[in-house]
Amino acid sequence: MKANRYIFWGMAKSTFIHIFLMSVALTCLFPIFWMVRCAFMTNDTVFVDQSIIPHHLNFGNFALAWTKGNFAVYFVNSVIYTVCVVTGIVLISSLAAYSFSRLKFPGKNIIFYLFVAAMMIPLPGSFVALFVLMTKLHLINTRFGYILCMINVGLSMSILLFKTFFDKMPHELEDAARIDGCGKIGIWWNMAMPFARPAIAVIVIFNSLNVWNEYILATLLLGDSQLMPLQRGLVVFQGANSTDYPVLMAGLTMAAVPIIIVYLFMQKHIVKGLSGEVIG
Amino acid sequence: MRNLGIICFSLILIVLAGCSQPPKPSNKIILWHWMTDRNDTFQKLAQEYQQQTGVEVNIQLFAPSDAYSQKVIAAAQANVLPDIYGVLDKKSIVADFIKAGLVTDLTGAMDADGGQWKNSLFDKALADKSFEAGNIYGVTPGIYGVPIDVTNEQMLYNKRLLAKAGIKTPPQTFDEFVRDAQALKRVGITPFVSGWGELWLLDCFASNYAFNIMGEDKIFATFRGQVKYTDPDWIKVFSIFAQLRDKGVFIDGIVTKGNKYAEQDFALERAAFAFNGSWCVNVYHDMNPNLDYGVIPPPPISTAYPLKIWGSAGSSFVVNGQSPNKDKAIAFLKWLTAQDQQVVLARETNNLPSNKQALVDVSPILKDFAKGMDQSTHPNIWPLNEDPSVSEAFDKGIQDIIIGDKTPLQVAQEVQQAKDLQRSRGSI
Repeated sequence: MKANRYIFWGMAKSTFIHIFLMSVALTCLFPIFWMVRCAFMTNDTVFVDQSIIPHHLNFGNFALAWTKGNFAVYFVNSVIYTVCVVTGIVLISSLAAYSFSRLKFPGKNIIFYLFVAAMMIPLPGSFVALFVLMTKLHLINTRFGYILCMINVGLSMSILLFKTFFDKMPHELEDAARIDGCGKIGIWWNMAMPFARPAIAVIVIFNSLNVWNEYILATLLLGDSQLMPLQRGLVVFQGANSTDYPVLMAGLTMAAVPIIIVYLFMQKHIVKGLSGEVIG
Repeated sequence: MRNLGIICFSLILIVLAGCSQPPKPSNKIILWHWMTDRNDTFQKLAQEYQQQTGVEVNIQLFAPSDAYSQKVIAAAQANVLPDIYGVLDKKSIVADFIKAGLVTDLTGAMDADGGQWKNSLFDKALADKSFEAGNIYGVTPGIYGVPIDVTNEQMLYNKRLLAKAGIKTPPQTFDEFVRDAQALKRVGITPFVSGWGELWLLDCFASNYAFNIMGEDKIFATFRGQVKYTDPDWIKVFSIFAQLRDKGVFIDGIVTKGNKYAEQDFALERAAFAFNGSWCVNVYHDMNPNLDYGVIPPPPISTAYPLKIWGSAGSSFVVNGQSPNKDKAIAFLKWLTAQDQQVVLARETNNLPSNKQALVDVSPILKDFAKGMDQSTHPNIWPLNEDPSVSEAFDKGIQDIIIGDKTPLQVAQEVQQAKDLQRSRGSI
């Protein structure tokens, strides 16, 4: 009898948790579903057809978004920016975090806290300074200038995350590597980086998302439309007073696919990375 | 280590090379704009201009407008503004740009050839881009901007829905409007929608009737503190909203509705009347190309003074005061606002042209909107404006009346309290 009650409450608890999680998942997935749904509609039906599945499917929006939004150029640009920025952030922030965690040098803590404090400055607050700096360096309207600025944007958070992992790395591992002949760079590459794999996954995901969806800084620093990222293509469908919703949704759907793929590849590391759990 | 040294040395060289050379005159001018929906037409016109004159116009789009504004401000500080650009901000910021030498005074060009260019454009639009003698900003009097189009805010009516309620002609007076609203309600049609979740649109409607009830002298006297908001005329203005509420004229949730949603409601025939700006022609065309509608000024409630609507320059450009290509930039803007080009812009973008002569060749609905320009006014050209905190109390008070929380008298007293508070602080 007692066992039955135990099983009943266990099932009830499990059912409740599943219903709760499913409703949370639904609230996350519904906007994505709605985006894809609207991508198959027309301007005539998007405000009128309230059905879950549109009565008439229009596949032309994707082709229109690709050509009218000049996605071919912007897509390649976004891939270049995302790969370069994320690689730069991972390399620079891991080296910096390793230094803050393992090396002793004057002003270490002050410099680290300055980096952390930089997270508190909202990006728009530094727009003018960045623009003036890039202009003076003749890096305005160049891919390199934009990549440098975006690396700068992602550094603080990544350094903090990496340092959390490196602080937990056993000193014995480092000693063993040193006995095996590794220098500082060797320890960083062969010991610290594999140790911080969950952190790398989180940093890659967060920064990929950030770079892929970034537009304001690109608008500020880039003038030539041929250098613009993917988000520039989406702006074409949003007029000051009117928006071409179906084509915009088709464009958003296409823009979301690569970042979803990156997330799926990295998802198993995400929880470990966010909780600071290290590889056992 | 050697690589690191090379990188550092390269960076120092780059920094040293950072002292920019002054720009030289060229046969190419650069224009920055934020108007996504007009970009294709601008590009097409720029190509045509190059074929005609040999001057290349490089049109660069930076949208949305917030990002564009950030870019313009940053470029102004770095002294790398293009030859032609727009300042999307209040008049005081435009004045700052002018005083910094970043905007060219166009008065001479406008007045040339007997004022041919100036006379071709709507006066109200030019007034919006001008600074009068003795202006509070300390700017040398003159015309500093070129309007590419104009806008005004009026009342729209759905011809099909009015006919369904047996209404043959749109209302000419406020009483007729209330009567028509009752007729519409009887056949189950919501009479009126507007995006009054956006305070400026509500302020615009209220101000139209304030002009009609008491005239501009009394309005400005109120701003100066010489007339109180508890004056019977102001209470009459507030009472309009109470009356419309009591008669059930408004769509549900009108005070929380953004204008985009209000536009959807009218375009999809969920309401028979709307209060909106002339840009709606473009919006309604996109949402419902078959919508059959007309435009009238808000029906006047009094014959004491003329009802004035808000109308002024829509989008506009300025010429960089430090550009070596000033003359070419001015020549291009003159060409862009000439009749033929304005007709192309109006046709392809459904905006009201800034050139009066272009009206002969635009759609009937735009022509009807343009008629309102004669009775238009705008806060930008008023000799003085109300303090923002008082305006906010005014607009939010009207929202309270619409939702039934306050009476017109209560709101009038609260607005006057806000006014007295500002005066006691010496900010007015």
